[in-house]
Amino acid sequence: MTSPKALVEGKPGSKHLLLGNEAIARGMIEGGVSVASTYPGTPASEIVDSLAAVANEIGIYVEYSTNEKVALEVAAGASLCGLRSSASMKMVGLNVAADALMTLGYIGVRGGMVIITADDPNCYSSQNEQDNRYYALMANIPCLEPSDPQEAKDMLLDAYGISEELELPVLYRSVTRLSHTRKPVVFGEVGEPRKAEFVRDHGRFVMVPSNARARHAVLLEKMDSAKRISDESPYNKGFGSGELGIIASGVAFNYVMDAIEETGADASVLKIGMIHPLPEERILEFLKDRSSALVVEELEPFLEMRIRSLANKHSLKTKILGKEEASLPRCGELSIKRVALAISKAVGRDFGVRFENPELSELHLQIPTRPPVLCPGCPHRASFYAMKASGMGDAIFITDIGCYALGSLPPLSIGDALLCMGASAGLSAGVSKATGKPVVGIVGDSTFFHASIPGLINAVYNGHRIIYAVLDNLTTAMTNFQPHPGSGLDSLGRPSKRILIEEVARGCGVEFVRVVDPFDLKSSRTALREALAFEGPSVLIFRRECAILEARRRAEGGPRRPPYAIDYGKCTGCLLCLNRFGCPAMILEGGRISIDPILCNGCGFCAQICPQGAIEASANED
Amino acid sequence: MRTKNVVIAGVGGQGVILFATTLANAALMSDLDVSVSEIHGMAQRGGSVVSQVRIGRKVYSPTIAEGRADVIVGLEPLEALRSIAFSNERTLALLNTRRIIPTTALLHGPKYPETEKIIEIFEKFCGSVLAIDALDLAKRCGSTRAQNMVLLGALAGLGALPIASEAFAKGIAASVPRRAVGRNLEAFKLGAEFASSSKSLDMAR
Repeated sequence: MTSPKALVEGKPGSKHLLLGNEAIARGMIEGGVSVASTYPGTPASEIVDSLAAVANEIGIYVEYSTNEKVALEVAAGASLCGLRSSASMKMVGLNVAADALMTLGYIGVRGGMVIITADDPNCYSSQNEQDNRYYALMANIPCLEPSDPQEAKDMLLDAYGISEELELPVLYRSVTRLSHTRKPVVFGEVGEPRKAEFVRDHGRFVMVPSNARARHAVLLEKMDSAKRISDESPYNKGFGSGELGIIASGVAFNYVMDAIEETGADASVLKIGMIHPLPEERILEFLKDRSSALVVEELEPFLEMRIRSLANKHSLKTKILGKEEASLPRCGELSIKRVALAISKAVGRDFGVRFENPELSELHLQIPTRPPVLCPGCPHRASFYAMKASGMGDAIFITDIGCYALGSLPPLSIGDALLCMGASAGLSAGVSKATGKPVVGIVGDSTFFHASIPGLINAVYNGHRIIYAVLDNLTTAMTNFQPHPGSGLDSLGRPSKRILIEEVARGCGVEFVRVVDPFDLKSSRTALREALAFEGPSVLIFRRECAILEARRRAEGGPRRPPYAIDYGKCTGCLLCLNRFGCPAMILEGGRISIDPILCNGCGFCAQICPQGAIEASANED
Repeated sequence: MRTKNVVIAGVGGQGVILFATTLANAALMSDLDVSVSEIHGMAQRGGSVVSQVRIGRKVYSPTIAEGRADVIVGLEPLEALRSIAFSNERTLALLNTRRIIPTTALLHGPKYPETEKIIEIFEKFCGSVLAIDALDLAKRCGSTRAQNMVLLGALAGLGALPIASEAFAKGIAASVPRRAVGRNLEAFKLGAEFASSSKSLDMAR
């Protein structure tokens, strides 16, 4: 991929193929940002990952914080001292950080501070389709929305300027199709970092009620003056001069341009860059004399509803079309086709544009799905197998956010409920109290530190009899293997103080704590049975390094490991290995099971479970 | 020039994103605008992965509209079939014949179709189809993982995109780790030779 070094070494004026997230990282380098914090989450992860790779060379402080709330607070602290900072996170991360966000606007900032939220239309890697632009309304802070990687870099510099002019944090909204779109980006000059100094200001920084009342009024004044900034933004742009008006922001603008080309519709487009506060004058100018205007935006009808309200307030007759009005679907992500159909509907004309071949639907293609799966050699699969094989009867399994959520699919089918980061502890307690049945809460190592500890303390304090299974693979695997407090590595991969999950659990008052190797099936089963019999909350830590990290180390010269194979002299074809364990390296063709030597990671766990002893390490390596 | 649309479909871990990035770097070195849309995170864990590359003078949307693919590259036949809605009667389909059978198809639900059946469907709906045993060619240069570069070579060999062969070579050098460049170039060359010598291809249809 693009070498992270290019982010620092690229000369001003040079062009580089960058992900939207990498472009945002370059924007931070050009903006003289000193502190960049995050908690990893798709689709935001690469922003800080790419900075971490070059942090030493550019002298930027990069931090994977324990969760998004802490990340936002660390960035805010630096910004109160005059440094430019950023906190980046996936959209649900801002829920965790929301408590800090809601009052940060009252305190305001000194050095520019930008909070980057990456929303995930279509839930490519998320549990919901929430639209974080509403946080800008709720916290009443400025919000900008870039449309492509070049703009994601350039507009970030303006965001820092606006943040410093208003002394407010700025919300910067990306979506998956920006964060994970790679396009050429032309670099600018590298910026100078600010100098840090903490200057006390009790009335401004200490949000006791008397100060908060006064600061609320200050915030409203600032946001009133921000309307001018929004109206004058260089990112508001007009295209075309047709009868149909289209207002778009962010990535949605691109679909509009292509849909106009596809349909040949006579339309004019207003692209807006700052979405809170709205560029009201610009919008009113665009709407007047038009009978209708289509608002195209990713996720909720955020702009549409406010533009309709603006039009009503000014007694405009313009009909506002969009998602609430139902010209565009509200679920999933936009596409050229969706926007083209909305344009056709808006002008009441079928442009004769055909997309997919209609004969395809007559094929009635019934093809197997291919959901993401736990990797061959994944220790989580072994942990789940042990849970299934330990006589847990009618136990209810509450899972959490991470790779291990994939264990809820057959054949493992471990995961009866999944809500949000760290929820497994609290949900398990409620389910246990309600049913009296055995309840197993499942959580990953990074998720354990992120948000589950208060839930665990609650289980001890309020006496909930749950088994809390921490699947510890020593990394934040799903989001690209970032270190965490239990990995013994700091944000740049250097050795650091390692916080042991078992010590945290004991510190929380848990009396039954065991650490097992999930590849040791016998010990795992024993520990599970003992936990089941224990009167009170228990913590079982299934600890083994992520199979991908382990395989990478072997590829870099570690000991080689042969793939496993079936001894057909012993195999009776019972298919227990496939039906109960279901490693993706197992292939069933013509009723016969085999192991794909390319996919097999050589972990050998399947050899432990075969009742015939018919699975063995093969003599030949691929 | 009209924007060229390339859909790359495969299974997480097959190098779909590397294929797309390499193609995009090659386009960038040909002074063209380019956009690659990628899927990261959960979907990468052995699941269906689609990347979309758009090459032109000025590219707007990161994704391709249904029925608008100039090329569909299937690193895996079933995943190619899943993306067939992008095809039209002029689409070129490059299909790796090496199957990766999802566990879902072994345990329950619809069965994995025969490879010949998949190729037939592409022949019915696309302008031209080239099926390649990319694993076989990749093995010849000592890396089963280089199947993606075999297919990239085939794409270059067919001359379906406004990108010169040298730009592809530069794209590979810019996209893969230094120690892997030689092996990837070799796989690319085998794919290109296969495509240009292929008699089965009927570009005129």
